[in-house]
Amino acid sequence: MYPIWEVPNLTAGIILAVIATFHILPSHLSTSAMWFNVYIETKAYKEDKPELLEFIRKYSLLLLVFAYVTGSLSGIGIWYAATVANPRGISGLIHNYVWGWATEWVFFIIEVTGILMVVIVGILAFMLSPGKWIETGNFFDGFFNKTYWSQLLVRTTLMFAIAAVYAIAAAARLKNEEVRKFIIKTASKWGLAGLLLGGTAFFWYLKTIPAAGQELIQTFAPQGLKTGIIASFVLLLFYFIYANLKPLTIRLVTAVLAIAVLFAGIWSTERMREIIRKPYVISQYMYSNQIIGNDIASKNVTSETNLINQKGILAVSPFVPEPLRVVNDANMIEAGKLIARIECLSCHTLDKSGLRPMPQMVERRGFTDAEEMKVFLEGLDGYAYMPPFMGKKKKKNALANYLVSLNR
Amino acid sequence: MEISTMLKTLQDPMGIPFYPIVFQVLMVLTFALHIMFVNFTIGTTFLSLYGYLKGGEFWGRLSKSMVKATTANISMAMLLGVAPLLFVQVVYDPFWYASNALSGAWVIGFIFIMMAAYGLTYVFYLKKDSQRGKGFALTGITALGLFLLAGLIMHALNYQALQPDKWLGWYMKGNAVNTSGTSLQAFQLPRFLHFIIPSFAMTGIFLMLYAWYFQKREDMDQGYLDRVGVIGAKMAFLFTALQAVIGFWWLLSLPGEFNFISNPIFMSGAGLGLVLLALLYKAQNAPLKYAVPAVTGAFLTILGMSYAREALRMKYAGRFGYSIFDYKLNIDWGSTVLFLGTFVMGLIIIAYLLSIAYKSGRTAGLYDATPLMHKWGRASIVLLLMWIVIVAGLGIIISVRNYL
Ligand code: HEC
Ligand code: HEM
Repeated sequence: MYPIWEVPNLTAGIILAVIATFHILPSHLSTSAMWFNVYIETKAYKEDKPELLEFIRKYSLLLLVFAYVTGSLSGIGIWYAATVANPRGISGLIHNYVWGWATEWVFFIIEVTGILMVVIVGILAFMLSPGKWIETGNFFDGFFNKTYWSQLLVRTTLMFAIAAVYAIAAAARLKNEEVRKFIIKTASKWGLAGLLLGGTAFFWYLKTIPAAGQELIQTFAPQGLKTGIIASFVLLLFYFIYANLKPLTIRLVTAVLAIAVLFAGIWSTERMREIIRKPYVISQYMYSNQIIGNDIASKNVTSETNLINQKGILAVSPFVPEPLRVVNDANMIEAGKLIARIECLSCHTLDKSGLRPMPQMVERRGFTDAEEMKVFLEGLDGYAYMPPFMGKKKKKNALANYLVSLNR
Repeated sequence: MEISTMLKTLQDPMGIPFYPIVFQVLMVLTFALHIMFVNFTIGTTFLSLYGYLKGGEFWGRLSKSMVKATTANISMAMLLGVAPLLFVQVVYDPFWYASNALSGAWVIGFIFIMMAAYGLTYVFYLKKDSQRGKGFALTGITALGLFLLAGLIMHALNYQALQPDKWLGWYMKGNAVNTSGTSLQAFQLPRFLHFIIPSFAMTGIFLMLYAWYFQKREDMDQGYLDRVGVIGAKMAFLFTALQAVIGFWWLLSLPGEFNFISNPIFMSGAGLGLVLLALLYKAQNAPLKYAVPAVTGAFLTILGMSYAREALRMKYAGRFGYSIFDYKLNIDWGSTVLFLGTFVMGLIIIAYLLSIAYKSGRTAGLYDATPLMHKWGRASIVLLLMWIVIVAGLGIIISVRNYL
């Protein structure tokens, strides 16, 4: 357990999610836009249309400054945000996949961005469905897992829709009407193809998700996210069709709105991906609150739940002020709050608003009595999306007292 | 909790997939490259501003080339920073994560600072000509300030990491904990300067190299290049001398128990530095002739110093019984081979890209590749295709075996 970084009313996890969602736009764009550029460039030479090159110049600058700069920095940003939001999670990934990332880095250096996706999807998919890795601990068993191919296909097809949205935005302000029309028409076709193929692949992806995740989608995933995915898909579909029929009516404002819709769609799918992983950050290995919940025998790693239940969470965590190590009446609430920070903060803010605020959760269930609260804590893992409470009796008592104190 | 026990508890239970020495060597090597480009970035930003404010034909021209160089240098610094970022988390995870988690707000802030600095550099670069007027230099000045702030954050995070005995104290507020992450807790001036001052020495060498490189191009003004070389050599010498002084200052401020002055790795690093200083002294008379030896010497010195920095970290960690050579091993040959293979392939391709860039930059008109270069280029493509086939094949075999 490392020191905790708390972002009031938000949680560090949300910071991570915002940066990660943002990163998808420029990073997917820099790969797919390259193909789009090559296509337009070839056309320009073949059909002798030098005016098309003007577009390429404009689009390339946008690409360079926007996609390359913000893409690589936000990529590093995800990593930094994960480092402070969930250090043991990122550590667990790195200690298994360091050579994967190092391989990815080589492709970065030689600027072959097309391969980047092939590598990073393996690691992302691993977090969702580690598959045989749980038994073998083998790098490639975890990497080429059940959701690897389907996620790869979804991402590689949808990235053409992303490139199209940007190409239309870049073209919207071109003076030459012929060129504008041509680019927007071409881009809308690319976008439609990407969207339709991606949509189809998405159904396959849904099928490959492990059973526990499937159940969470059905029983628990917020309706808002589902609507977000479907609505953004449908809106973009109409947008591309419209752009294809009436290319010259697209203004910069419309194009920017389309980018916002894209962002909302990506946000919803990314949040969904996180929800179906619950209660884990690395499926079947580490809980969201960074506690190791299962043995990985092949790596000689044992679950930490027993140890914590025997000795107490405040006794085994390094970053605990000495006076809080032993719970008594005087420090009860303070100790309870620290336990909540360690075990619950990754999914609930302790403030009044933000991500699933704990005061609201407690109030909603109407807990006012510490004894009742303790019974609830004992059954915490009865919820498919929460890890069990871990710790000794005294700690449970402290946490329960702290929680009911929120409901006053 | 005992600090040595704490560090052991914090280490990742997964262990590491290959021998620690390999991670250490890669970490130091890539850090040396990283810090060299950080130096180029800060130095060229500074020079482009100086030239812009000074004005006139010579400085105006130099300023223009320098800001263009900055945009390239900063992406290199970033790309090359990713590798040590990865490797330090493999072998020094307890130190790295604890320090970062204690200053979470700064860690996130760093990213936005970099984005702003990078963006401003581009504005300065693209709009410089249309926007004459000294006030415009503010974009560049802000960019420089942000780069320095980014360096300060990096330094503080690294220096915090070296002091595990203070972590809990920094984290506590009364009897409770302070989770805001809004403070940077440690700063050591000589150490910070030791990474920043070389910017001016390295940029001097960069100028020498620039003049040497373009002297073969007939379309370049030789008088201009000569002047660039002379200024470069002077900068390089003066700031390398200053750097040596700062080095001793840092050395004297280290805990006495380390007895670092007698450390063989430190001695080799410092020795290389002195050789470089002598070389730069001689270079004053013929900067262009000494450009290549100077950059070679400088890189070797940086590499030596980077290993000395690692040796120092081992001393700090050793105080609490931590050594990366005791890290739990879970050797994974498959992925190690994947990386090493890719790495060798990458070296072949990068060497190709560099020599193409080197040759075409030196020719005034269009560059005609020799047959050897053609072959090399084709080999690079074949290697990439082979990589794809092998990895995809592996993926298919494993998926079929595991899931069908
Ligand atoms: C892996 C993420 C995760 C962790 C860790 C977690 N929770 Fe939850 N919790 C959730 C989710 C998701 C919900 C459902 C929120 C909703 O329905 O709006 C929830 C709901 C709740 C509720 C309301 C239950 C209800 O029936 O309405 C309470 C109370 C609660 N959590 C307490 C805790 C406590 C106490 C801890 C720490 C010991 C904790 N949670 C840790 C994810 C988590
Ligand atoms: C212009 C911006 C930057 C500056 C000025 C800068 C400067 C520095 C300095 C001075 C150090 C040494 C600190 C010390 O040991 O006291 C350092 C280390 C480091 N930097 Fe940067 N840096 C910059 C950008 C980056 C970026 C973008 C990354 C990430 C990709 C990065 C990754 C690292 C890492 C990982 C280390 C520590 C390596 C180790 O501990 O071995 N830096 N940097």
